[in-house]
Amino acid sequence: MPLIELKDLSVRYGEIEALRGISLSVEAGEVVTLLGANGAGKSTTLRAISGLTKPASGDILFEGRSLAGLGPEQIVRLGIAHVPEGRRVFPGLTSRENIMLGASNRSGVSKSDIAREADAMFDLFSDIRPFADALGWTLSGGQQQMVAVARGLMAKPKLLLLDEPSLGLAPVIVSKVFDIIKEIRRMGTTVLLVEQNARMGLSVADRGYVLETGKLVVSGNPSELWNNEDVRAAYLGGHARAS
Amino acid sequence: MDLVYQLLFTGIGIGSVYALVALGFVLIFRATNVVNFAQGEFSMVAAFLMVIFAVDLEWPYWLSLILSLGGMAIYGALFNLGVYYPLRHRTYLPVIISTIGASILVTNSTLALYGPQPQVLSNLLDFQGINLGTVFFDSQYLLIIGVTIVLVAFQYWFFEHTLLGKKLQATSQDKEMASLLGIPVAAMIMITFVYSAMIGGLAGILVAPILFVSIHMGGTIALKAFAATIIGGFGDVAGAIIGGLALGVIETFGAAYVSVPYKDGFAFLVLVMFLVFRPQGIFGERVAEKA
Repeated sequence: MPLIELKDLSVRYGEIEALRGISLSVEAGEVVTLLGANGAGKSTTLRAISGLTKPASGDILFEGRSLAGLGPEQIVRLGIAHVPEGRRVFPGLTSRENIMLGASNRSGVSKSDIAREADAMFDLFSDIRPFADALGWTLSGGQQQMVAVARGLMAKPKLLLLDEPSLGLAPVIVSKVFDIIKEIRRMGTTVLLVEQNARMGLSVADRGYVLETGKLVVSGNPSELWNNEDVRAAYLGGHARAS
Repeated sequence: MDLVYQLLFTGIGIGSVYALVALGFVLIFRATNVVNFAQGEFSMVAAFLMVIFAVDLEWPYWLSLILSLGGMAIYGALFNLGVYYPLRHRTYLPVIISTIGASILVTNSTLALYGPQPQVLSNLLDFQGINLGTVFFDSQYLLIIGVTIVLVAFQYWFFEHTLLGKKLQATSQDKEMASLLGIPVAAMIMITFVYSAMIGGLAGILVAPILFVSIHMGGTIALKAFAATIIGGFGDVAGAIIGGLALGVIETFGAAYVSVPYKDGFAFLVLVMFLVFRPQGIFGERVAEKA
């Protein structure tokens, strides 16, 4: 049984069909990357899984159980953490406080345990340790991204949803972020990663899917996708990425 | 010089009331992004509850105080469920109209029950006050200042040093992200309304022996508190306190040295000057909402 399975999932925003019947699955322990251009429906897929957006039809099964009718607060309690696009670090809280709040989905954990776990996160994300007590809005984009990922990991998720972790970051920071994703993968956390940066996205993945205007067009392992002529032309080449 | 000290004391006392109400204002504004136009009625309803328990039923003051504050907690919860919660996914305009409607409803219901005559509530403490030199420290003003200091200290501790306080802050900064982390957003907003109604109510009870208890006290207090938040910097907690105190002092000195009938006018003159020359307030843009 896959950890998560999307069955013929459709999402509408008013008149616009953002997702048109997509089906995909992620096995426990896998890192799966969802590729596609702007507006293809990548973020919408993640928002539907975490309960921010209600599907128009279709179903999402997590550990065999339907997520239909559950809100984001319930879904994160089941073990799905969503690190959304734009990082969404709380601007008026410090890095440490942001990270500590990542454990809000777990009940019965004491504040001192949470503080200890948050401190351990600064071992994994050593670049942000000096900024542990800096307010969120003062952090750079890369630092915010690391806080956001650390906050997601504090949920102790079975499935981590990462939306465009490379967006707006300098190349050297992007490779740092992807080093962390490799580390997360090594720790055995299942990841569903959304990326426009196909090269980086596929470099950490076991499998990939390509979305095009709300439909899945191709899937496979990274080398298959990398060598697929249509995919190369549309997503891995230069001309389509700018759109 | 003694007059200056006397006025300063009185000004800080009345300013503390504005600060408390402004604090409740800011908390709800930050949690819901909506200005609650029925904020002043929190103070009025609490003062009338106090009149019911302490004057009409002649129950002891301490019991009346506990019952009134308990009543305000329930009032805040019902206010949230009736006025805000059904409209929480709408834009700010329907919510604002809803709070204005609530203000009119509550004011006129009170008018129907108690009539237009102001009610009198005596000082909460038994002693009148103390004289230091020629300055008289009225017990009611001392009580107001003391309670305000304790409440502000409590609130600072609560928001800065408890996980629940951090969750409330997170909710006010980004509700969608808070819900993604598993923070129960609806419960956080409920706590905010209950707490806001209680501190607004406490302000009303404290000021009741100084002003009269009337259906109009809510409107006056809310306008002053609103002015205080603008002077301090809209949405800023420290700004609400400083703005409230400043407003109390300014209007007290204005009344003493310029004109008593225009007492309320000074507050709004200051408000207009801030809106023209420093619309972001004293503490405005101190915490930039970037990201």
